[in-house]
Amino acid sequence: MSELDALRVREEVLQAMYWMRSEGLGETPSAAELARFLAVPAGTLLPYLERFVEEGYLEHVGDDFGLTPLGIESGKRTFAEEFADLTRPGHGECDADCWCHDSPEEAARCLEERVQHAH
Amino acid sequence: MRTEDTAPALPKSFLRPCLLLLLREQPAHGYELLERLRPLGFAGDDPGGLYRALRALESDGLVHSAWEPSRSGPDRRIYELTRAGMEELHRRSKSLVRARSTLDVFLSRYGEFVALDDAPVAAAPSRANR
Repeated sequence: MSELDALRVREEVLQAMYWMRSEGLGETPSAAELARFLAVPAGTLLPYLERFVEEGYLEHVGDDFGLTPLGIESGKRTFAEEFADLTRPGHGECDADCWCHDSPEEAARCLEERVQHAH
Repeated sequence: MRTEDTAPALPKSFLRPCLLLLLREQPAHGYELLERLRPLGFAGDDPGGLYRALRALESDGLVHSAWEPSRSGPDRRIYELTRAGMEELHRRSKSLVRARSTLDVFLSRYGEFVALDDAPVAAAPSRANR
């Protein structure tokens, strides 16, 4: 598996597990249950799950898998980020609650874009 | 998302307009949507199908979701319809009206051979019996 694939699958798995957990649909799904949930072959998913255990995002719970605190944090955060671009204010819509105030880097980028568009 | 075995065959991708309709009625969490889909012919036993459909709708800009803090457990994602979602729901509903007209014509013509309300599928006449 490529690093890019692993990253993509990791986000997808953590987000799905966080969603299942928050909806009360199970905190420790099996590989087969997760595969069915994501509509992917279980045999394809399992090596990724084992890798995420090694990386500290998941933990074995018997034969099943659970989110570690790191996995919980990552699943929730990346879920919110996934569609953030769809809801962020566009260029020139900045106000006191604008996303560009999230970090100095974002603020600088926003300012730069504004200057560029002003010309 | 699988439908009840006894439920009628539903239009292709019927889950999408159903979800848009439910969210037009009121914003909702995933599990609640699963329950409210039942009267529309969905078995409610495929949360993965619901999850994937919601993500696709959000990716298409038809639905927006946000984490809603919970006092008794983990934060839950609450979904609501966007303006584009409302317009898509209207388009799909008009399409369903046209489909219903076509089905009415079909059923009316088939109804000349057999009364469907009382006829089990297995008793449908063959060509030889016409």
